[in-house]
Amino acid sequence: MSSLTIMSTLIRRELRTAARTRSYYLLGLAVGGILLGLTFGGGGAATGYIPTVVDLLLPLEVLVPIVAVAIGYRAVPSDLDRGEVAMLDTYAVSPSAYVGAVYLGRAAVLSAIVGVALLVVGLVVAAVAAPDTGVFATHSGVDSPILFGRFLVVTLLFGNALVAVVLVASIAVTSARTAIVAAIGAVLVVVVGGEAAILLGVLDGVFNEATLRLALGFVPNSAYRGLVFETVVGVLSAGESGYASPLISMIGLVLWTVASLGAAAGLLRWRIG
Amino acid sequence: MTDADEATSRGEPTDNDGDTSVVTTTGLTKEYGGRPIFEGVDLDIASGAMTAVIGPNGIGKTTLLKTLLGHVDPTAGTVTYTGPNVDRPMGYLPQEPAFRPQFTVNETVDFYASLVDAAVDTERLLGEVNLSEARNRRVSALSGGMRRLLAVAQAVLGDPPVVCCDEPASGLDPSMARRVFESLAGRAADGMAVVVASHTLSLVETYADHVVILESGGVAAAGSPTDLIERYDAADLWDVYDTVIDPTAGDDPATSDGAARRGDDGPTERESVASDATADTGGQS
Repeated sequence: MSSLTIMSTLIRRELRTAARTRSYYLLGLAVGGILLGLTFGGGGAATGYIPTVVDLLLPLEVLVPIVAVAIGYRAVPSDLDRGEVAMLDTYAVSPSAYVGAVYLGRAAVLSAIVGVALLVVGLVVAAVAAPDTGVFATHSGVDSPILFGRFLVVTLLFGNALVAVVLVASIAVTSARTAIVAAIGAVLVVVVGGEAAILLGVLDGVFNEATLRLALGFVPNSAYRGLVFETVVGVLSAGESGYASPLISMIGLVLWTVASLGAAAGLLRWRIG
Repeated sequence: MTDADEATSRGEPTDNDGDTSVVTTTGLTKEYGGRPIFEGVDLDIASGAMTAVIGPNGIGKTTLLKTLLGHVDPTAGTVTYTGPNVDRPMGYLPQEPAFRPQFTVNETVDFYASLVDAAVDTERLLGEVNLSEARNRRVSALSGGMRRLLAVAQAVLGDPPVVCCDEPASGLDPSMARRVFESLAGRAADGMAVVVASHTLSLVETYADHVVILESGGVAAAGSPTDLIERYDAADLWDVYDTVIDPTAGDDPATSDGAARRGDDGPTERESVASDATADTGGQS
């Protein structure tokens, strides 16, 4: 049996599991409600996409990690506790294929929850904001749905990097009960700890401008914020914002995702012998 | 079978129609934190036979099975698989099996069936473990016993050359437990090497071709049930167990009292096996 067939079988199962998990729908409604509330509350909806992005950026830096933890922390530990991983190991299912499929399934859930919520927000902005927000041709100085689309994509990239971090943290512990503690701890270390370390580094004069931009790109939240500033908000103003390199930020998020998945597969291989 | 003591003490299988060894362990030792679980275990697991591993709780039966499967690395010694080169050489029934609660019985079997090359007759498989009527029921709505039956179906799916079952009868009513052992014995008769870790000695005595009794430190005795009973001049396998096992072995206080054990389980099992004329419900009430 080919690896591709096995992988597609596993992914189908993950997607069907997600589609049948009611709590995800409730989570989606909650996230949608919060984002819509912030959109209207912040007044961004009436003025355009970019003001809405500015309103939502900081809340999303908190909300997206919470969603990532909520959908990811039990994924592998539950299968381990049930003995399903041990049973699957007797088939030609490698830990890498299993972790990859679980990740893609959970990433799809996060993408659906956050993506649909942001899509609804975008539609609301399109419906109530000033007429020029309907311009699709992008060039500097014009608010546009395209910019909001970029914001959505960047947000999903950030969220799905955190799902990978949550997966590796949850596999590192022995049970589903302790997995939530590990997942929250890992996200806090990565999200808060990373930025705190940079802040301390700045205060101690460790960084110059170039190394600071590099460091910012390798902390998920900073990378996300940098991508939003450089590719969405910054488009409206002339010149670079100087916050972070979009390329380094993109590489940073991809590295977090790939490295976490690699570590997760390695840990799982070690857990099941 | 009437093999010499030397052979049986090595844990060699019964002489079952010239069956060949499919898994061999040599000097298998497992320690956790310096504490030996078992030491120097030599086993030959034969195809076409059911090998039962019995012993007190905590003596290392599950660890031994997991070592055979490659899920636990031995501290010393080797496990050698010499069976056919297939995608799924070994099936596994864990001690506490469970499945994704969102799926039905049919969907669960179909999922695992899609991971093997061989065509799987889902209908026949579910019928074999008495789950046909529950095929459209979600796993979350199954009793513990029914989930175990589903796990039995999963373990033998695709006819792996070896199947390791950890307590296959646990949580099942006597008739269903017998049915599971019958089914596994049938698989063995078809050429599969079936390894079960079990406390249900009456079923082991009835269906196993070869019994390995684990005690602290390793294999205390091994042979066919009839051979062991003859060797220890015992009435049944319970008597052999009582004779062989150190009452303080393992972590189950009940195992230190053979009479109490028999009173709790033995006669009930024997009666149920002997007089099992009732229809098997598979716990589907």
